[in-house]
Amino acid sequence: MPSVVGVIANPASGRDIRRLVSGASVFDNAEKGSMVYRLMAGLGAVGVGRVLMMPAASGVSESLRRHLRGHASEHRPLPELETLPMTVRHSARDTVEAVGAMLERDVAAIVVLGGDGTNRVVARHCAEIPLCTLSTGTNNAFPRMREATVAGMATGLVVTGKIGDEALRREKILRVGLNGDPDHDCALVDVAVCAERFVGARAVWRAADVSELFVASASPDAVGFSAVAGLLDPVPRTAGYGLHVWLTSAEDAKPPLTVPLAPGLVVPVGIAGHRRIEPGEEIPIEPRPGSLALDGEREIEIGPGDRPTVRLETGGPLTVDVEEAMRTAARRGLLNGALTAEADVPGDEPS
Amino acid sequence: MTEVAGAQELGKEQLLDAYRTMRTIREFEERLHVEFATGEIPGFVHLYAGEEAIAAGVMAHLDADDYIASTHRGHGHAIAKGCDVKGMMKEIYGKADGLCHGKGGSMHIADLDKGMLGANGIVGGGPPLVCGVGLSAKVRGTNQVAVSFTGDGGSNQGTTLESMNLAAVWDLPVVFVIENNGYAEATSTNFSTKGLDIAKRADGFGIPGVVVDGHDFFAVYEAAGEAIRRAREGGGPSLIECKVNRYYGHFEGDAQTYRAPNEVENIRQEKDCLMLFRQRVTSAGLVEDGELDRIDEEVKQLIDESVEEGKASPEPGEEYLLTDVYVSY
Repeated sequence: MPSVVGVIANPASGRDIRRLVSGASVFDNAEKGSMVYRLMAGLGAVGVGRVLMMPAASGVSESLRRHLRGHASEHRPLPELETLPMTVRHSARDTVEAVGAMLERDVAAIVVLGGDGTNRVVARHCAEIPLCTLSTGTNNAFPRMREATVAGMATGLVVTGKIGDEALRREKILRVGLNGDPDHDCALVDVAVCAERFVGARAVWRAADVSELFVASASPDAVGFSAVAGLLDPVPRTAGYGLHVWLTSAEDAKPPLTVPLAPGLVVPVGIAGHRRIEPGEEIPIEPRPGSLALDGEREIEIGPGDRPTVRLETGGPLTVDVEEAMRTAARRGLLNGALTAEADVPGDEPS
Repeated sequence: MTEVAGAQELGKEQLLDAYRTMRTIREFEERLHVEFATGEIPGFVHLYAGEEAIAAGVMAHLDADDYIASTHRGHGHAIAKGCDVKGMMKEIYGKADGLCHGKGGSMHIADLDKGMLGANGIVGGGPPLVCGVGLSAKVRGTNQVAVSFTGDGGSNQGTTLESMNLAAVWDLPVVFVIENNGYAEATSTNFSTKGLDIAKRADGFGIPGVVVDGHDFFAVYEAAGEAIRRAREGGGPSLIECKVNRYYGHFEGDAQTYRAPNEVENIRQEKDCLMLFRQRVTSAGLVEDGELDRIDEEVKQLIDESVEEGKASPEPGEEYLLTDVYVSY
């Protein structure tokens, strides 16, 4: 059985209001199609035989098909491309359905091209299938911007068994509870408590709207709300704790923190305090009307009677650590020698 | 920090106003659906029911002297821009005291005093008009903004694309709103419009393009607020694509054989903009059901009176045949 890798490329990512408020990057679907092609080239080069893809919108699939037609004469191995037979509704439900179908087909990994929102939906439903996450925009905290070819090679090395679990990383996750349901939703990077009562245009770009912040990980070189925590007390992805931050108006804070809240938007943020949070701790959010933004987008409207909570867990999704996989490949000489033209190469563990 | 128009700034009066606007459009259109079937109304009518959140969400940011250019499906835009509802109904009935003296009908309702440049029988006819008034506002140095409304069908017209280019080249205070209701007359966008998001066409002209849920007043309100603020402050044009659905056919009498069974019923149950708005503002504790019910009653009475007066009003006489035909400059 050749290794099968699932691919989810969200055609709708990269069109939110941040294009209006902060000059955030635009990422067109033709480029996403090119990314899937380059990903397939990487996967094929290390022996992955089949890619199972969620049906893509016309811009993505046409760009991909053009590349595949051009590739035919090049005699380099490429996985077979199979599109999931499903009706596309152009909503997040497509992603949920596709992940379900991929689990049934026993894919060895799922590569996600999208933003934080797409990754969050996949992470909620992918069980123990490792994810390789590729950002399709500059304002994401969870998926990384990296070359799809290399990501494909790293994922391929893992799923064909050439590299073992050492290149997989267990991510943290923030579980959001609501009115006694402890798993109402989740976030991979941050939960922001906003004063905006409606999800509206979804993105959050005003620090003054946010009163509390929970982060699973926070890098000081991130962009977005996790950067607030990252600049206060960086939380590595591998650390066994998270951070809870209380915000106040920039005028009250002396001095405020300067934070890149969105691409092109560097603002003063008032900090009232922060503390580390431990896994398993069910933290009540101060109940007041507003909304919860999960990984930067308002998702849950909080009414006067609602009681939301946040809990950090260390048992989040598994992800492919591309850097570690390629380091291991270099150390073991896994890529030394000519590539085989056979797409379905049996995994040859070095002794 | 950039001050933008979040929904948080909406006070109770503004929420009630937004609801009244949407309810007035809905009642107006639902009633026309019934009255048109009697054969009393001349010409064609194209109903806006289902798309009310767009007109209300955009127009909430416009002042009386800002401009809009509408479409053949223009009743909602006109009502939200402040046109007199009774005058509109009389116009649709072709009566002498209608908004355009009964000479325009549904597809040519205009009221320049309200900045409503007109419903428009030409698909893709609105975008060039807002470039014109946008240039005028820019040259005169006013803070006026011009907004055009175009459907998914109209988005494929050369006029629309040329206007986006022109507005970008001249940095005009213009917002292009695309109301993508899934069908260009009877043709699904799947067959007529390449690419998933019309908003992406903005990239080609170097202007921002965003997608919002056109059933969600708050989503439209926030995006429109930011785009209009940008335009007003000299930031140039932008494009907002609103994904939405219409409840009736392309025109009244359209058998809609191109739509799936129960398609509209499902949308009415799941995505109706008035239902979603009511749920949200009441569960947030901002407005009480009774206050919205009262608006429903008042609007119903207004539309009842409008239809009554529309029917009772006099037809234009022969002496008006040659008036308002030519304009001297």
